[in-house]
Amino acid sequence: MKKNSPIAKLITFTVNGKEFTRYVIQSMLLIDLIRDELGLTGTKTGCLEGECGACSVLLNGAAINSCLFLAINVEGHEITTIEGFSTGEKMDEVQTAMIQNGAVQCGFCSSGMAVSIKSMQTRSRNESRIPTRHEIQKGLEGNLCRCTGYIKIIEAAGEILNK
Amino acid sequence: MKFNVISPKTKTDLLKAMKNETYFRFGAGYTDLIPEMKKMEDIGYSIINLAQLNDQTFRNIKRGQDVIRIGTLATAAQIVNDEFIAENFPVLHQAANCLASSQIRQVATVGGNLCTASPSGDISCALVSIQAQCEILSESGNLRLIPIADFFIGPRKTSMKNNEILRSVIVPINVKHHEVHSGFLKVGTRRSMECSVVSLAYHILTDKKAIIHKAGIAIGAVAPTIRYAEEAGNFLLGKNISSIHPDDSELFANEVLKYASPISDLRASAWYRSEVLFNISKSILE
Repeated sequence: MKKNSPIAKLITFTVNGKEFTRYVIQSMLLIDLIRDELGLTGTKTGCLEGECGACSVLLNGAAINSCLFLAINVEGHEITTIEGFSTGEKMDEVQTAMIQNGAVQCGFCSSGMAVSIKSMQTRSRNESRIPTRHEIQKGLEGNLCRCTGYIKIIEAAGEILNK
Repeated sequence: MKFNVISPKTKTDLLKAMKNETYFRFGAGYTDLIPEMKKMEDIGYSIINLAQLNDQTFRNIKRGQDVIRIGTLATAAQIVNDEFIAENFPVLHQAANCLASSQIRQVATVGGNLCTASPSGDISCALVSIQAQCEILSESGNLRLIPIADFFIGPRKTSMKNNEILRSVIVPINVKHHEVHSGFLKVGTRRSMECSVVSLAYHILTDKKAIIHKAGIAIGAVAPTIRYAEEAGNFLLGKNISSIHPDDSELFANEVLKYASPISDLRASAWYRSEVLFNISKSILE
């Protein structure tokens, strides 16, 4: 797509700290922009209807489902995917906590889980408040783990959020 | 999935788009619309995309002297994070907080919940219990105000016309009171991402002596629309909330039940819905 048309629209947005200006098909979903156009395949395609949370990304710091979001609506916003968590060799503390707590089994839900935990961490820092275990569970209610390794994921989140 | 999108940035552009487009749907949070469109082979309408509309009346939650004005593009997360609402309208706070999941609450809008007109809409049920008013804007720029009870006319049907859009809901600030007994009970088959099997919104105000002087009760998922159980609320007036006789609790629950006409579907049977509604109605007075 090369020009503005009823089909495509020129938008400017930031992904993992890098600014992009692109023509985007108006009916394209954010998950397709991220995976197919930008090649960031750490964001996973799960149920594609907002149930499983595997496609979660951060929109201005808060987790959303990229499968239920129109790509053109990232105009002027900042997206962070799992690829934006680590800087070079150094992992993000959410990722480290998940590994240390054995919170990864098959790994399919992991990037979405990490995104939701990051979203909670940002929020709890902004509010200077440590969430309760119940609040952590609630914060992860939009992420399914079919290996059912929830306890370790909640423990990893607890470790991070109690800091 | 292919469809045409118009993204108005201002109210003027929005009204123009409403005038120009013959077949259109509004898209705001898209959490219901995208799954719905995916199932369609041919999407025969355009989307008027409200996500980029830069109009504060549509977007903000604003407190005035006698009312709170909630823009219909306010998200469930905005409601959950509003301290004034949490303190004065726990029913609305709780309803917004049990909607779907945190990712969905981040984008799902108040207007979407209302205009979908689902009999099990959580935010809608809470807004009925506190007797909000709906402010509707027409393509010619005229405004009209209707009580929320007149907004829902059937499952997925509202009293809005094709050339209208819901701009705000206006909630009257609580009259003088001593305490607020307010909450939202949602019974489903699981705790998250659940569409209610039965829901009950209650907003009861008492004076210093614990006497009830205002009571708003609304029920969801047990009738073609969300219902305001007016007589059930009236039944409580003048009673002391801290010492309601068990017989009165049952009479109250029966009053609530009069507004229900549940159906059996894949989520629950009509019998189950009635039993649950009776029990949770009773429970709010215990």
